[in-house]
Amino acid sequence: MGWEETQVRGYEEFVRTAQRYHGRPIFALFCGDKDAQGKSWCPDCVTAEPVVRKELHNLPDESVFIYCLVGDRPYWKDPNNEFRKNLKLTAVPTLLKYGTPQKLVEEECFKSELVRMLFTED
Amino acid sequence: SVQAHNEDKAQKLMEMNGLKPVPDSYDYDLIVIGGGSGGLAAAKEAAKYEKKVMVLDFVTPTPQGSSWGLGGTCVNVGCIPKKLMHQAALLGQALQDSRKFGWQFTEEVKHNWMTMTESVQNYIGSLNWGYRVALRDNKVTYENAYGEFVGPHTIKATNKRGVEKLYTAERFLIATGERPRYLGIPGDKEYCISSDDLFSLPYCPGKTLVVGASYVALECAGFLAGLGLDVTVMVRSILLRGFDQDMANKIGEYMKEHGVNFIREFVPIKVEQIEEGTPGRLKVTAKSTTGNQIIEGEYNTVLLAIGRDPCTRKIGLDKVGVHINEKTGKIPVNDEEQTNVPYIYAVGDILQDKLELTPVAIQAGRLLIRRLYAGATTKCDYVNVPTTVFTPLEYGACGYSEETAAEKFGEENIEVYHSHFWPLEWTVPSRDNNKCYAKIICNIQDNERVIGFHVLGPNAGEVTQGFAAAIKCGVTKEQLDSTVGIHPVCAEV
Repeated sequence: MGWEETQVRGYEEFVRTAQRYHGRPIFALFCGDKDAQGKSWCPDCVTAEPVVRKELHNLPDESVFIYCLVGDRPYWKDPNNEFRKNLKLTAVPTLLKYGTPQKLVEEECFKSELVRMLFTED
Repeated sequence: SVQAHNEDKAQKLMEMNGLKPVPDSYDYDLIVIGGGSGGLAAAKEAAKYEKKVMVLDFVTPTPQGSSWGLGGTCVNVGCIPKKLMHQAALLGQALQDSRKFGWQFTEEVKHNWMTMTESVQNYIGSLNWGYRVALRDNKVTYENAYGEFVGPHTIKATNKRGVEKLYTAERFLIATGERPRYLGIPGDKEYCISSDDLFSLPYCPGKTLVVGASYVALECAGFLAGLGLDVTVMVRSILLRGFDQDMANKIGEYMKEHGVNFIREFVPIKVEQIEEGTPGRLKVTAKSTTGNQIIEGEYNTVLLAIGRDPCTRKIGLDKVGVHINEKTGKIPVNDEEQTNVPYIYAVGDILQDKLELTPVAIQAGRLLIRRLYAGATTKCDYVNVPTTVFTPLEYGACGYSEETAAEKFGEENIEVYHSHFWPLEWTVPSRDNNKCYAKIICNIQDNERVIGFHVLGPNAGEVTQGFAAAIKCGVTKEQLDSTVGIHPVCAEV
């Protein structure tokens, strides 16, 4: 069985979804909300998303890719939002391997080499 | 397959009558064996000059099965976790002191080993990952494989699944570091742990016997006791060999007065298991070094910290003719970190007669690369390197110990200025008022230039760093005297 993608919005939905897939490798990309035209308020997220999507075929079998919209800009800027407090996220975009210290932040997500390394290496 | 092709190539190379034919073009400009402080610093520096670099890093698991990621000893099983656990112990002390400063909490304060260890290991994990990102970003190839020389300019890399690959390079840098030594007595590998295991131990070590009197032994004994554990240190002869003995004894006294037991002039001869468990129960039999007395003791954990041996004996150095000191395993190099084989260099703890410190390895690695690829000429300065021992009472030093200064310059030519001090922060909670201590050793014949600086007290590392810079500039006693102190801090003394 290959890999699968699921899309969520907000912290609670993210946590519920991650719990549902407990036991399988989970990768998550956190981005700022998108407007009616599908464009995110976060310019780096706009750049990172296609790079990450292009590497998804490298995901190990059985893994889950969670695409998570974190919220609007004011929510994100709040230093006490749940993503910052509980998941220790410092910026968007963040691409991480859930449950490990392995993550890529901001411009690191623009580099397909690094994305591939995160997806394929231990 | 690639493997067969490479083996074929190497075979042809080595078949040629003991001549040393080298390939016309190498796979890499530089292969670094060992991804620790020295190796990684050199690799990253070389990448800056657009050299094609590979790093091979592999951790042979300990007898207890412990292993770790990229970064070397300092990051994984040395300086970093050590300082964090030392901090954990200091915080325990601070919590006790805090009551005198007015903080009120009714619960008894207890320590949870697993919580601390998980946090420390998590941080280390982020460092391991960070190094891998940095290497990849700088286009340095990294392989988690054991490197050994098989012929001129040729190395064999074996990964954990046993897959072998051959690589060639114009130059090599050996930065394989060291691993803890075992005693060679019955039960040592089966039942004892070392610093390689301690920082990721998945259970609280409990009542611990630390064997050794190195800074590793004393630092570990110190924080384990600070976390509330029953700790005993078994010392063969002196404490902190190589360090100023006056200071070493003061450290020992402080630790003794603060609950660490010392058994002096004994060595273990046997370790047996009384009961399995996490931790289990061990029986240690020890013999006196001065007579025939035998003693026994029971402990949950036995931590060996009797020295470290260079990882130079099983990397094929004989195949390329690199000389090592047969007795110690260390590699002699010239002042440009070059071994007797011109295209093979070495940095870090494996070097003969050089300091075993992370910043030294990093500095030596970087400067070496700049000399090789950027036309620089600066060599690594191994003189007046500051250090700190993170025992419960921290000890910072730079320059000569009192004994070495007396030996080198003559006792009548040195002047020692010293002072006890009582940190202001210790007054209110009534902590010891006569334990902190500082001394400088001056060369009378050279304007009373400061040739040795020693301080025993909180934040010794922070204090010592500035004085190291001053010593490098040749500070004299008079200049120190004329520098106005900051008040109220320990450093003003």
